[in-house]
Amino acid sequence: MLYVVIGGSAGSFPVVTGLLASLDKNFPFPMFLCLHRLKNVRTGFVEALRLKSVLPVSEPYDREPVLRGHVYLAPANYHMYVTKSETISLSTEEVVNHSRPSIDITFSSAARSFGSKCVGILLSGANKDGALGMKAIKEAGGTAIVQSPDECQVRTMTTAAIKAADVDYILTGAQIISYLQKLKE
Amino acid sequence: MFEEEDVKILIRALKDCGGYDFSDYSLKSFLRRVEKVLYDNKMDIYTLTNAIKIDSNFLEQVVKDITVNTTEIFRDPSVWQIIKYRVLPKLHAQKEINIWHAGCSIGMEVYSMEILLYEAGLLDKARIYATDINSDVLKTAEEGVFSYRSASEYLDNYRKALCVNPYNMDEKIIVPIEKYLDFNIPKDTLKVKPFLLSKAVFKKHNLVSGTNPFNVKYDMILCRNVLIYFNQTLQNKLFMDFWKYLNDDGVLVLGIHESILGPMSSKYDKKGLIYQKKLF
Ligand SMILES: C[S@@+](CC[C@H](N)C(=O)[O-])C[C@H]1O[C@@H](n2cnc3c(N)ncnc32)[C@H](O)[C@@H]1O
Repeated sequence: MLYVVIGGSAGSFPVVTGLLASLDKNFPFPMFLCLHRLKNVRTGFVEALRLKSVLPVSEPYDREPVLRGHVYLAPANYHMYVTKSETISLSTEEVVNHSRPSIDITFSSAARSFGSKCVGILLSGANKDGALGMKAIKEAGGTAIVQSPDECQVRTMTTAAIKAADVDYILTGAQIISYLQKLKE
Repeated sequence: MFEEEDVKILIRALKDCGGYDFSDYSLKSFLRRVEKVLYDNKMDIYTLTNAIKIDSNFLEQVVKDITVNTTEIFRDPSVWQIIKYRVLPKLHAQKEINIWHAGCSIGMEVYSMEILLYEAGLLDKARIYATDINSDVLKTAEEGVFSYRSASEYLDNYRKALCVNPYNMDEKIIVPIEKYLDFNIPKDTLKVKPFLLSKAVFKKHNLVSGTNPFNVKYDMILCRNVLIYFNQTLQNKLFMDFWKYLNDDGVLVLGIHESILGPMSSKYDKKGLIYQKKLF
């Protein structure tokens, strides 16, 4: 079993939709998306992803059990945690790195709960959220993948992660897709 | 950093010395709050536990710091639209309307409700009750003065909740925000208009007690983004309590990312974002 967690901010939306459009509809693992949104864009995000995605996408409710082949999007204004018992919990605690949802929070909870079974992917973005999360995934024995900063619309986030953590792969969007397509049990 | 055993000792001290029972809070989120309190006070868990035993003011402060008070005016406008178009119309025939905001934080949810009721011509016969465990937020709620800066980012909620009819998108509704709220941007304040103040009764109350804080039955109970901090046992107990305290036609409103799981789910009918009490 693997658990894929993806974080992104400014400039990550096209990469995420491209990825969701290209996966096999029998993708065998759950996927958790933690994407920053503009403050005033609260609704319509999950619908926009759904339009492109071959996998079912939803914003989970608190304590929702995790299913394989399902994509969970952190709801606007909630931090999203994943737990060992394969449920999702939400909270409205303080913003972290000016963000709620915060990528560090989702990534760290995935690292704590799933350790080496965790695949973390960090995409384009304009702040440093996700760097500590990447480090946590790496230290828990998981796989840390960062989108190549040269390809990112905004490189701050990926550069910070590469500095903070000894990441496994630095890949283009297309390479990230083929990496995910090859993931097997 | 600290062991689960240490946390249990802290929870016991909070209960023995202050009467606050956190043993059925979700452990994960309780731990995160404790970590934050330790960090902010530059203490370790043993010092904290001892300090709350000897200083009851400090204990009260710790309890407040453990709570998460994030809130918004017309948070999740889609819920308010449903209340406006699907819940309030049924209450017109009643002589009085009782509403309980359980875990009301600084009252933005309470004033949002008052505005909807006023728009519907129902405010006069409504009795609005609001409770929270944290007396600081209740004080702010009673005053009805908020920071403009922290509220401004979601003022669009107001327009969506009041001026959009999801059942008839062509309908043009105009409700200027100045009708209900006074802005002072240089002073960074957002004030609720006086005629909305002193309508609601605010009272300190701990949901863990299971008691009904007011001696009435409610047509609507809102308990939004509170139960996410509780474990399943306590959640279920509260779904039972709320069921008892609701009128036969009463509805329960949770946060939009919350749901009734477990044995009590058969006692409510989920109608979109609203839970209707079921009698059988
Ligand atoms: C995140 S706020 C939600 C505010 C509002 N209902 C909303 O959804 O915007 C949660 C509130 O629940 C309160 N709370 C936490 N535990 C409580 C308890 N045991 N009894 C009563 N209120 C509690 C907190 O103090 C806090 O103000």
